[in-house]
Amino acid sequence: MEHAAVVQHAVESGSKIQDLAWAILILPLVMAFGTAVLTPKNRTLSAAFNISGVVVAFLLSFTLFCVFGGQSADATPFHWLPVAGLDAEIGLHLDALSTLMLMVVTGVGSLVMIYSTGYMHEDRSYTRFFSTLSLFVFSMLGIVLANNLLMLFVFWELVGVSSYLLIGFWYEKPSAGDASKKAFLTNRIGDFGFMLGILAIWGLAGTLDIAALKAKFVANPALLGPWAGLAGLLIFMGAMGKSAQFPLHVWLPDAMEGPTPVSALIHAATMVAAGVYMLCRVFFLYTATPGWPDALGFLDGISAASIITCIGGFTALFAAVIAVQQDDIKRILAYSTLSQLGLMVMAVGLGAKTGDASASMYHLVTHAGFKAMLFLGAGSVIHACHHEQDIWKMGGLRSKMPKTFWTFALGTAALAGLPPFSGFYSKDEILAVALEANPIFFGVGILVTVLTTFYMSRLVLVAFFGKPRGEGADHAHESPSSMTLPLLVLAVPSAFIAWLPLGEFLSGHFKPGHAAHGGDILFGPFNHNPIAAVFGLGAVLFGFSLAYSLYGKSPAQDPLSSKLGLFSQAMRNRFYIDEIYDGIVVPLHNLLSQIADAIDRWLIAGLAVRGLSGVVEIAGRALRLVQTGSIQTYAFLFTAGVLLIVLLALK
Amino acid sequence: MNYSLITLEVLAVLLGLIVLLADLWVSPAARKGLGLGLAAALGCLLAFAVGSLAPQSGSAFSDMFVVDDLARYFKGFFVFAALAVVLMAVDFAPKFGSGLSEFFALTVFALVGMLFAASANDLVLLFVSLELITVTFFVLNSFQRTQLASLEAGVKYLILGGVSSAFMVFGIALIFGTANSTNFAVLAAKQKELAHSALFLMGLLLVLVGLGFKIAAVPFQMWAPDVYQGSPAPATAFLAVGSKAAGFVLLIRLLVGAVPQITAEWHRLFVVMSGATILFGSLCAIPQRNLKRLMGYSSIANAGYLLLGIVAGSAGGSTAVLYYLGGYAFTVLAAFTVISAIANHVESDDISALSGLGQRSPFLAACLTMAIVSLAGIPPMAGFFGKLLLFKSVLDVAPGHPELYALIAVAVVGVVISLYYYFGVIRAIYWGGQSANLSIIPVALSTRIVLLACVAGILFLGILPQGLVKIADHAVADLSQKAAPVAQPAH
Repeated sequence: MEHAAVVQHAVESGSKIQDLAWAILILPLVMAFGTAVLTPKNRTLSAAFNISGVVVAFLLSFTLFCVFGGQSADATPFHWLPVAGLDAEIGLHLDALSTLMLMVVTGVGSLVMIYSTGYMHEDRSYTRFFSTLSLFVFSMLGIVLANNLLMLFVFWELVGVSSYLLIGFWYEKPSAGDASKKAFLTNRIGDFGFMLGILAIWGLAGTLDIAALKAKFVANPALLGPWAGLAGLLIFMGAMGKSAQFPLHVWLPDAMEGPTPVSALIHAATMVAAGVYMLCRVFFLYTATPGWPDALGFLDGISAASIITCIGGFTALFAAVIAVQQDDIKRILAYSTLSQLGLMVMAVGLGAKTGDASASMYHLVTHAGFKAMLFLGAGSVIHACHHEQDIWKMGGLRSKMPKTFWTFALGTAALAGLPPFSGFYSKDEILAVALEANPIFFGVGILVTVLTTFYMSRLVLVAFFGKPRGEGADHAHESPSSMTLPLLVLAVPSAFIAWLPLGEFLSGHFKPGHAAHGGDILFGPFNHNPIAAVFGLGAVLFGFSLAYSLYGKSPAQDPLSSKLGLFSQAMRNRFYIDEIYDGIVVPLHNLLSQIADAIDRWLIAGLAVRGLSGVVEIAGRALRLVQTGSIQTYAFLFTAGVLLIVLLALK
Repeated sequence: MNYSLITLEVLAVLLGLIVLLADLWVSPAARKGLGLGLAAALGCLLAFAVGSLAPQSGSAFSDMFVVDDLARYFKGFFVFAALAVVLMAVDFAPKFGSGLSEFFALTVFALVGMLFAASANDLVLLFVSLELITVTFFVLNSFQRTQLASLEAGVKYLILGGVSSAFMVFGIALIFGTANSTNFAVLAAKQKELAHSALFLMGLLLVLVGLGFKIAAVPFQMWAPDVYQGSPAPATAFLAVGSKAAGFVLLIRLLVGAVPQITAEWHRLFVVMSGATILFGSLCAIPQRNLKRLMGYSSIANAGYLLLGIVAGSAGGSTAVLYYLGGYAFTVLAAFTVISAIANHVESDDISALSGLGQRSPFLAACLTMAIVSLAGIPPMAGFFGKLLLFKSVLDVAPGHPELYALIAVAVVGVVISLYYYFGVIRAIYWGGQSANLSIIPVALSTRIVLLACVAGILFLGILPQGLVKIADHAVADLSQKAAPVAQPAH
């Protein structure tokens, strides 16, 4: 009761604790610009500034999380352009989702930054790295805190820009440059749909304020009428880009060209999570009455949410299958991320039936923790093996890098979904929702779990056990403590987060007053939905025994490749999706750009711009001819001008 | 009579005289110090002009001279501009050769003219203050005596200025002949009957010719590109900011304050002038290769945008003009401060000479970029919000007047064209190809301060426009109270 009183006091007295959110948002930006402008030459100071900025933001986020504990509040908004009839509001909204996400972003962000002091130590653009990281964190926090879709979209684009800068951080490498461009352009496609969706909502509902929209939807679930499905899908397109859902998933694996801490931050905890987070923010769009315009009448009876479920489920399975035959340690993790994001998106879609997307958000939070740890662990391995990324050239790292090994193993257990680690509980919620809503997707979830356990066990067995297969692995030794410390810190939530009632906390956001499962948290899954829990656990055990039978004896080559034959080839080549895009999308794109170029060159630049400026230039030359340095012409024209305006005014 | 109202002007005149006298004792080497001292004095004057000690509202000299919120707004504006120009000139000094203190003194005298213009409530004071400005600029523009281009600029300004003054004084004579008075308040009271007198209207038009020359509006803009290009950069900056603003404060006093009904009758004239000015400035700027000439055309286009506020004829329009001028001052002063600062380090005024500036001085490059981006009207810079206010003021009165929608369309086209040539400058700064000379350009502390102040102003006005909008609203409130509400012409 005391706690509630504090919140009440904060809300009523106008002391506005929630205005701390502004500090959280602005701090990383100040640090990014501050270091870029003031201390570009001083490496230590730059790192210290940026790290302290994000760490302080984390502490403030923690404070807000404790103070508000799931209640919602708005920070004093900033009104830009308050001219009559025009108001661009920049407002920050705090609730269960945003306060939790704030902690995830700033928490993982600060650990990644600390880790980077070790990982990026020899890089000559050390300062640029830190200030870009801060810029990225700022953009991401903007998405988390935005109280309206317009502001969300602006920060959405900022995340796109800062991720472009980070993925292409080593821009001297052509592959990094290409990857950053690919990520940016693929995201543009999704963002285009997102923008259309925002415009549609603005046109139909008349507001972009998320709280106001939600209120309107509660009052009238059929608010968007026949456009509900389309608007929902367009908004989802934004999430498809950022959260890398099929068919816009192609950028994420390539984005591994960025430095590994970047992968940990943007491909585990933040940018890719933005899509899922945004879907949860506008979840009311998907629980609304479905409807389609006449032209799309064949979709009647299907809701946008069910399409989202299918795309998410497909991505989860598809990416997990590809991951089985990848050899690059970061690519395995990249496809695993894709697969897990697919699960989260699937859970959002399934949750629309029950009106509760908490399973998705829960998995997002736990995944952010253990996936960041796995990426950082992979970075530690790569660092130790002199930038070797092929797991078949590693081996025996267990004894050489004990801290990395144990944290990596813990992350693997969490990702696979082994109790009592975090992944088990969040994945179990997804499985339980699937079982309730649609058994087919329960099957998908189980299959993904088997595959996940399989490829992660393969990775651990090949890279950490057996004998070193390459020179890099032979000379490997444990990374410095600046790198192992964040690993150990991240191990804590991965191991113990299940002890907190996080799932119920989130459930309370979507369904206020919803009765909690109650009882023992650790064994809860086995009590309230034993089928899901047992199947989930069985899938993990099955996957692991499969992997152990193939890789337990530390083979020199992948025995699976020869067994699967052509199929393995297809998996290694990511089912030729990139090649298909190269074959279809790229020529089409080239054709379109050639047409656009021709229009620009001949019609716009040629006729409109050059034509007009040509006319003006000719006029100017004509004037210059008469002018010939004599001022009389000017005086004459001046007088003619006087006559002209007299005629105009007095006629 | 309340003589205390002209305290600011008297102080400024004294300042100018002190600078002239001080020149007798200050050694040529120490003249830069004189400039810094003058800048400090102008800083005090600025504090006085905008502070609470400034003269209270009232009128003096048979109602010729008024002090009100509008006057105070512009007086602060002019003193700030003069301060920046003096500091610019300190940096620019090596290009002058000799006579630096005369340049300072003349700048202050031009400032005095502007200060009087801000308070002019009578055609006679309007004429005298404009002449004070114009005559000092004849000299300021041709201050680089060894440069033919500078001398040519001075002569062109002299002759065309003479022509425009001739028209204006003739117009004033006609007005005095028909209205029996040159006082704005009297004209305002009699405007209904005077609206039928062709001679009076003719006189008013001829006065507008003189003001049109000052602000460089079509068809009186011919001098601007040549003079902007030829004059020394600090003089050009003062011309672009101070002289143009003086023209606009007088236009507001005369058109919006004194004869709003006739202004409404001449609706079409201003629509055409505004549209033609925007298009002329924007289109002609495209092929320009010289940065100062480009700024000349840009200044013409900006006069066109500012005329939108006059076209609107409403209080909102006048507010927008005041706000836009505020942002425009920071922007143009920043741009010309950079031009002055690099004048001694690059070979020419050509845009291509900017290549490599991004490496030679990232600070100057960033400031110039900010200024250009603001001129192009991109948020969150001051230029964006100013244009928004101007467009909005016209749109507010547009219903029922299709020509106003056409004017807005023309203005938008002008903005789009301007993006093209403004970004040409930014491209030259950062991607200007190989520059032979990559030596670092030193930036004096005074220049740094001016630039930081201007950039802060550009950003502040863009992000938190409410403050200045409120001040501008206050400044024009008296005006619209004095004048009857503007009736739009029925036809």
